[in-house]
Amino acid sequence: MTTPFPFVAAQVLTASELNSITNLPSSTKTTSYTFTVANAGGRVIMNAAGSTTLTVNTSIFSAGDVVEISNIGAGVTTVTAGTATVSSAGPLAVPQYGGGRLVFTSASAAIYYPSAVTVAAPAASGLTFISTTNLSGNQTNITNCFSTTYTHYEVRFSNFACGGVINMRYGTSGTPDTGSNYCNYQLYVDSSSVGQGGYRFDDTSHCLISNGSAVRGNSLFLSVSSPFESVKTTFAVNACGTSGANSFGSLSSGLVNTSTSYTDLVLVFPSGPVTSGTVSIYGLAKA
Amino acid sequence: MTTPQITIYNALTGEIITRDMNAKELAQFEADKAQELKQAEAEAKAEAAAQVRKQIVLDRLGITKDELQTLLG
Repeated sequence: MTTPFPFVAAQVLTASELNSITNLPSSTKTTSYTFTVANAGGRVIMNAAGSTTLTVNTSIFSAGDVVEISNIGAGVTTVTAGTATVSSAGPLAVPQYGGGRLVFTSASAAIYYPSAVTVAAPAASGLTFISTTNLSGNQTNITNCFSTTYTHYEVRFSNFACGGVINMRYGTSGTPDTGSNYCNYQLYVDSSSVGQGGYRFDDTSHCLISNGSAVRGNSLFLSVSSPFESVKTTFAVNACGTSGANSFGSLSSGLVNTSTSYTDLVLVFPSGPVTSGTVSIYGLAKA
Repeated sequence: MTTPQITIYNALTGEIITRDMNAKELAQFEADKAQELKQAEAEAKAEAAAQVRKQIVLDRLGITKDELQTLLG
């Protein structure tokens, strides 16, 4: 029940109709729509899965007329100036569960007052910063760093110092995966020896750096692919640093031989606690 | 001897917890340490064996390691 509008001479107004004065006449649209005079004083509800428009034309409304707009559909609806002028201090795009009020100042001009809900800005392209934290102790767990937002991640270690070995494993909701599913391939060269290569299958972690004595490093570039997706997560790491009087460089890659969705990155320092260093994680935009 | 420490950083909330490892974490950490030690020993053993094999070949050839490097250079 809604209050009749416009009310005309000799029309009978019932008590229930009058009591419904706070209940706006509503009209639901599932496709793009152009406002008509019947929408004055009422609410237009958009409910469409895809994008739609609400068009405002001139000579339909009068100064003082108001139209409420709400969008309950997944598709963004955009208040669009047809032949009339529409001014607004905010966005004209109305996301799902957003809305606003269109107030006419003349037959050819309206002001749109959007609610505080606005269409989310598209994700930035390129690398997006997720988090940074200081490394400390014998193990650093970074939880909730992987999500559906990104497929690929870049992890940068800076100015780290530790006992010589940095291992990595993944985890889900705070629980590290310690299964024997980690495969590693590594090439290592230092200034005191020729290069060495090696591999490990069915290990309980990935090896980022494996050095016989304490290391200091200024760079460790780690790429992690698809940790959150239920596919085999892969990694590649390029590390460079010093160990005593020697300098070293290593290239490693590997995969987890199980299709598990991970949310956490776990760093383990089994040959001695990390005494300094930070680790920053970035997500690579999908588009 | 102090108990190894673990730091847990929640990238969503920014919460940081640093504490002693619990029994399960400690057991895994000790297993990680043992694994690294075993790996290092295996690599050292393999390297030593390779050096012995190299020296045997050098002795057969009657040249030194430096002379071999010169030949290969």
